[in-house]
Amino acid sequence: MLGKALFLFLVFNLIFILADPAAGLGRVSAYNILFPGRSRLPYGDHPERAYNVSVLNLDAMFASHEIAAGTKPASEFRVLLIGDSSTWGWLLKPADTLAGQINRARLTTADGRTVRAYNLGYPIMSLAKDVLILDRAMRAAWQPDAVVWLVTLESFPADKQLFHPLLQNNPAPTRDLIARYGLKLDPNDPQFVTPSLLDRTIIGRRRDLADLARLQLYGVMWAATGIDQDYPADYEPAAIDLDPDDAFHGHKPPAFGDADLAFDALAAGVRAAGKTPLLIVNEPILRSNGRNSDIRYNFFYPRWAYDQYRAAMIAQATAQGWNYIDAWDLLPMSEFTNSAVHYTPAGAKLLADRLADAVTQLGKISTP
Amino acid sequence: MNLTQILAFAALSLIVGLACAWDRARVRAMRARGWVMLAASVVAVYWLQSSSPIRSLDFWLPTASIGLTVIVWAAIYAPRRAEWRAALPAGAVIIGIVAFIALTRYIDPLCCVTPTRPPDIVTVAFGGVIVAALIAGATLLFRGRTRWLNWLVLGVIAAFVILKLDVATQALSAVLRGLNGQDMAQASALDVRWLGFSYIAFRLIHALRDRVTARPPAPGKPAPAGLTLREFVSYVVFFPALTAGPIDRADRFVKDYRNTTVLPMDTASVVAGVSRILLGVFKKFVIADTLAIVALNAVNAAQVNATIWMWVIVYAYALRIFFDFSGYTDIAIGLGRLFGIKLPENFDRPYLKSNLTLFWNSWHMSLSQWFRAYFFNPVTRALRSPRETHFLPAQGFFRQPAFIILFGQVTTMLLIGLWHGITWNFVVWGAWHAFGLFAHNRWAEFARRRNASTDAEPTPQSPVRRRVVTVLSVVATFNFVALGWVWFALPSIDLSLTVFRRLVGG
Amino acid sequence: MTTEIRTALAQYIAKEILQQPKRVIAPDAPLISSGLIDSFHLVDLGLFVEDKFGVRIDDAELNKETFDTIEQLTAIIVERQ
Repeated sequence: MLGKALFLFLVFNLIFILADPAAGLGRVSAYNILFPGRSRLPYGDHPERAYNVSVLNLDAMFASHEIAAGTKPASEFRVLLIGDSSTWGWLLKPADTLAGQINRARLTTADGRTVRAYNLGYPIMSLAKDVLILDRAMRAAWQPDAVVWLVTLESFPADKQLFHPLLQNNPAPTRDLIARYGLKLDPNDPQFVTPSLLDRTIIGRRRDLADLARLQLYGVMWAATGIDQDYPADYEPAAIDLDPDDAFHGHKPPAFGDADLAFDALAAGVRAAGKTPLLIVNEPILRSNGRNSDIRYNFFYPRWAYDQYRAAMIAQATAQGWNYIDAWDLLPMSEFTNSAVHYTPAGAKLLADRLADAVTQLGKISTP
Repeated sequence: MNLTQILAFAALSLIVGLACAWDRARVRAMRARGWVMLAASVVAVYWLQSSSPIRSLDFWLPTASIGLTVIVWAAIYAPRRAEWRAALPAGAVIIGIVAFIALTRYIDPLCCVTPTRPPDIVTVAFGGVIVAALIAGATLLFRGRTRWLNWLVLGVIAAFVILKLDVATQALSAVLRGLNGQDMAQASALDVRWLGFSYIAFRLIHALRDRVTARPPAPGKPAPAGLTLREFVSYVVFFPALTAGPIDRADRFVKDYRNTTVLPMDTASVVAGVSRILLGVFKKFVIADTLAIVALNAVNAAQVNATIWMWVIVYAYALRIFFDFSGYTDIAIGLGRLFGIKLPENFDRPYLKSNLTLFWNSWHMSLSQWFRAYFFNPVTRALRSPRETHFLPAQGFFRQPAFIILFGQVTTMLLIGLWHGITWNFVVWGAWHAFGLFAHNRWAEFARRRNASTDAEPTPQSPVRRRVVTVLSVVATFNFVALGWVWFALPSIDLSLTVFRRLVGG
Repeated sequence: MTTEIRTALAQYIAKEILQQPKRVIAPDAPLISSGLIDSFHLVDLGLFVEDKFGVRIDDAELNKETFDTIEQLTAIIVERQ
């Protein structure tokens, strides 16, 4: 009897390795069926408080998002927001994020369609990650009418493009991106995770499987409470007094080298958007007036690096004819929360107002 | 118990259960089994205890559990010189283990069985002297004074109250902090979490009360042999049932303990034991822990904003508490089985019962059985005996069955509620069930009277109708119990009322 | 002897507890686990046994583990008389 059970267990695992159902399982989701889709991609450092959990399965991430629900109404002007944690809305309730504020404004395009923004931001600062999400979103059947891509220098360093487990654990789609868009990344980068045979058994996959199950269960709590993030009672505000350090990711003044910043990834994103109108936004940053603020703008950025990045962005945008808004100095210090790029609800509102015209203008370029 | 601890205990049990094949006569095997059971249980008392901000408390609380158990044994049996001599090996093993655990303080690679470093050996020795004095005192004090054991029962109840009443626990914490030279202002009720005391206390009260009410042996028959020290300690702190029951009975326990036919374990018993453990692990660590994500708790109770989801999380809590508790019991029963001890069942499909009385006959059975034996039955018996007391006339309102039933049920259920903790929420939970039980009882009585004129069995109904009625009754009973958990699960009446308002659409 | 005890018990349960004097209760019919006798009446049954047969059933023995049928209760009474 014990032998039989052991045999069955081995056979079951073999089938599991061959069929790799964990990948396909991501598409099975109760979101948008039993409970509403999430307003933003699932991410949670404290699942039990956030009713949200980080998963590495891209299918599962998108399947849990409200954008995967049903078909687009004819009257909707569908705008995808791509970006980092500031777009995702760190410390912000779903309705207070940039997407939430745009929707609250009830913008309409010239031809009468209502602007409906979808928050596809994800709390990782890497352009390659943005392209991964944008590329998927464009290839899904969601018919976006426009894309707004919010970027900041911290997402640009070439050597940190693959730093996050989300990219490392999705080697196939990431390598696919590298090949199709000619990204200057190594498809054999040692950071890519290659699961061993043991990792691919049901035992090896147990955490992934448990995470998928938890993502579904937290859907109940998301539906029941509308909470999808841990909102601490108080947080450490973003640093105002700064170190007298002029280095940025190991780069020293006066100038970046040609290969230091991943402009290739930015170009890849533009190509991924294809014919869909794209608005690129240099997102607001905190400009400190504290100690050493003559050297740095904030915790992230020495002045020389950020100034140079900003100039390069403007030059590129002009040369390539991008729709580009530089909103770097839009918000006063008071509208930032726990980081130099995370803003308050009021900050999100200001940014939404700043983008409103440009977004509705995108409606003119896009065909309904 | 976490998974590592369960695995360690299961491995130990299996080794003991299987490794005795060499001993045909079973005598040595049985002896070995008894010693392993005692040693594992004593170690478990320390190993499973959680840490406390009060220095060394994670050593002293387990020591108190063992010490109290030995004191009660000495009080019950008032052993004489010969009996003490017989108890010597067991006493030596217990002292040896406790001393070893204390000495791990000085043996770094082995430190520690307790969550934090045990106190220094001089302090431990001092504590040991106090415990020894109490044991000796108990032996002398209670010899020939069986009725005085009731005072010991009261003492255990008093300790229980202190540990279950937050205000008192906090005061106790302050005292202990003061003795330790720690900041008394930081005292919190959470500082003193005495592992397994709820269950240890009830086993001790059971043993004490049974001693007080024991019948004298029938003429010509010898008095039944009491429990040896080894048996008694093994019974009270038996490691599978230490943290969450079930509450076994001492007489039942020793029957299995002394049964020489259980070793070596046959395949069927091993399979039964192991599969029971696996079932429990699955129920507790997979089903219950998963349900916990969506189950009602103090935080989400105030966050849920829709009636339908409130029902979902209330139901999820009902299922979670069942799978958690019954899974844990499965693990305990399975571990016991591997030692040849058949711990009593604690759950018998409680959510599939068609009325509240049957629910309480199948939920946490060993606890409700305990309350029946040591509270409900004696109280009811006293009220039903047609004897006049200075409290009660022989007749009148207080002797009416309806009153006695109401009184017995309300007091019993309130006590069961308070057993979980002395808070208003547990009081209301107890009252909720008391009145539910009383309502069911009156209804059953009413139906009985209606049928009284008819003969034999109640009028047969069509099978379909009977089925429908049963299903509806099960659903109604489950809902009554599930709504009752709203009191049980939350820390305040206000919060529970918020949940109820939401449940009805408010 | 056994038969008399059984009959007396069955009659008492039918008449006093169930209040259906004509009801016949089989000696092996479950009394407690089936919910036929509730915890209150179980105490009454204990008092009746003590009164009638001079056999005390302890408070801790009034449960389905000790006896669940008339047959089992009879055995206890006979053993203790």
